[in-house]
Amino acid sequence: MLFFRSEEQVREWCEVNGYPKRPLVRMDQLWGLATAWYGTRLQEDARRPQPEEMRAIFAGLGLHGEFWDPQSDSFG
Amino acid sequence: MEFDTQVKLAVYRHFAETAKAPAVSEVARRIWSDVESVLAAYKRLRAQRLLVLEADGKSIRMAPPFSGIPTQHSVEAGGLRYFANCAWDTLGVLAALHKPGTVHSRCEQSGELLHLPVGLDGPGPTKWVFHCLVPAAKWWDDIVFT
Repeated sequence: MLFFRSEEQVREWCEVNGYPKRPLVRMDQLWGLATAWYGTRLQEDARRPQPEEMRAIFAGLGLHGEFWDPQSDSFG
Repeated sequence: MEFDTQVKLAVYRHFAETAKAPAVSEVARRIWSDVESVLAAYKRLRAQRLLVLEADGKSIRMAPPFSGIPTQHSVEAGGLRYFANCAWDTLGVLAALHKPGTVHSRCEQSGELLHLPVGLDGPGPTKWVFHCLVPAAKWWDDIVFT
């Protein structure tokens, strides 16, 4: 899970290393993920999102598709 | 409060207060318990994906979003410098702390340094992007690589 200066830098990195290019996440979307996952982490009742909750969080941030499905079996 | 919750909170609050991983003896002292009981709780918390331990079974490698070891991803907040496990976790540290701060990292391709101010409502507009190579269903197959 890495930062890149631009989509072009992601494309170059994937080509150089032979990696598949995955869906890009904007910084405001990443902030949404961070608050959903960790906003209550220092509290007594904190817990990690479960698969259905994860799907709802991803969808709410506009992150759709098999890549974001926590129970997908499409990736071997 | 359940014992495992006490252990989890002791670990996370130590990270929040010091920016460092606690020794198991420190966690035991904080909750008036003993090292053996805390280590047993660590194993259960690992199963819940709340801790990642080093091979010795007692040193904390990750208490996501906090990292117990230095990484290329760090966060300045409240006069402390925290290490995060990955790009996502840099913002996670600030979300967990509920504090503004600055994220320090780099572009993985060009090496250009990132110094990103983050307020209580998140970062301002930026063209930097986040890329995750591993699909969500596989994140915990090898969380260190992810």
